[in-house]
Amino acid sequence: MPRNVTINLRMIISSIIFFIIMPLVIYLGVTVLEDRKYYFVSIVLVLLACVPFFLRFERRRPQPREILTIAVMAAISVAGRCLFVVTPAIKPVTAITAITGISLGAEAGFITGATTALVSNFFFGQGPWTPFQMFTWGMIGFIAGLLGKTGIMQRKILLALFGVFAGLFFSFGMDIWGAISTAGMFSKEAFIAAIASALPFTIIYAVSNVIFLLLLAKPIGEKLERLKQKYGILQ
Amino acid sequence: MRVFEKYHPIVLFSYFAVIIFMTMFFMHPVYLAITLIGAMSLNLVLNGRDFFKSLKMYIPVFLLIMIINPLISHNGEMVLFYMNDNRITLEAILYGLAMATMLVSVMLWCSCYNSVMTSDKFLYLFSRVSPVFSLVLSITMRLIPRFTYQLKLIGQSQKTIGMDYTIGSLWHRIRCIMQILSILITWALENAIETADSMKARGYGLQKRTTFSLFVFEKRDGILLAVIFLLFVISGIGSLLGSTTFYFYPALTGISSTLKHLFFYSVYAMLIVIPVGIELVEGLKWRYLKSTM
Repeated sequence: MPRNVTINLRMIISSIIFFIIMPLVIYLGVTVLEDRKYYFVSIVLVLLACVPFFLRFERRRPQPREILTIAVMAAISVAGRCLFVVTPAIKPVTAITAITGISLGAEAGFITGATTALVSNFFFGQGPWTPFQMFTWGMIGFIAGLLGKTGIMQRKILLALFGVFAGLFFSFGMDIWGAISTAGMFSKEAFIAAIASALPFTIIYAVSNVIFLLLLAKPIGEKLERLKQKYGILQ
Repeated sequence: MRVFEKYHPIVLFSYFAVIIFMTMFFMHPVYLAITLIGAMSLNLVLNGRDFFKSLKMYIPVFLLIMIINPLISHNGEMVLFYMNDNRITLEAILYGLAMATMLVSVMLWCSCYNSVMTSDKFLYLFSRVSPVFSLVLSITMRLIPRFTYQLKLIGQSQKTIGMDYTIGSLWHRIRCIMQILSILITWALENAIETADSMKARGYGLQKRTTFSLFVFEKRDGILLAVIFLLFVISGIGSLLGSTTFYFYPALTGISSTLKHLFFYSVYAMLIVIPVGIELVEGLKWRYLKSTM
């Protein structure tokens, strides 16, 4: 019975955020702010979109074993980002987040991605990009987790396809949306210009994601599976 | 010096949240100039010489944004010249300038935030809002130096069995690095379970977590927080009364300099200048005390 109550409360808060607060923010952005503060409105929307995930994680009262496993995966992916700091756009973060999502579930994937973004920015500098990174990496982990549940991510081709998708998703979230919302221009020309200028990065993201996923999926996935079986966590 | 960062984290966080929020919001030339100058001077006070080094990054960003806008946006009445049959207008150039100022100011404020709000302060604040997530954050922060230390150990012991990642062919090196990483992950996960069991044995989750911190909310924190809040509210009222209204398109609006608007400009300037002012006043006090000793 108490479990049902918490689930309902969570559902209610999430629906309030998605169906009332977020449209309200967009509406206010269009009317009161005269459709000019895209940058501000997008940051608010991205932060709001993260709230239900954190709320869910908080309310579920995860066990220490689960917390530590997520922290370890996040720390490994932060270390990966630091390790590859000299090579622009080639980062193992997406791959490690996705693998965590596939093995440990959608929610753990989201938290790992968001933690990685926040913690690595303590080293690289926080900025208006932090919420965007938290959300995009979190979502990549979340989607990977949902797909992982169906078991289709075991196939190499689909895993590679997911790497390409994650690269496009990250590029859209960080470069294209970022550029357009900062400049405050929503025209076909601006979109084409942004996509064209982000294209080299998009390709590098996609290719490096595929390589990292194919290289790391099996070894890290096996270790996480073993951990799950041995200690019975996150089943 | 560095007095401002000794204030309570909640004061610091609210200050930067308010300032970054208003910088993003008020696209009025006077407000933008105030916030840019404020951000630059605080950076200078906090980071000293490093600020000039970081200018290498900010100036290209500034120029890039300034140039892109007139190339894409062709609104505005004052046409300066035509490029490939596209109008280049004065308004679009000035809007690009305003955009660039806004963005670079936000980046500069964020860089001040980074040097003032260290991660321990952030964790302290958010352990109340989101206890579990901030626990994940602080464990992650702790694990990184531990991993780098462990990586060194593993690397060295691998060397002794002929898996030296610094020599040999590229393929050999990749294989060695993958091996080291694999050992690290196994070790880290096993270790994590041990830590978790130890946490559980000490009663994690039975009661509300208590946290240790050295931050005390003093009287001066309360005063500064109240001042920030007051100036923020007055600026908000000013914005509602139209002191921040400025249109770039279709034609530029003039900058009003009535007494009312000058008052709101100075309120905003006061809010911006708080940290630099605190540093300067404390610096002078220190000088004075030293000279009277």
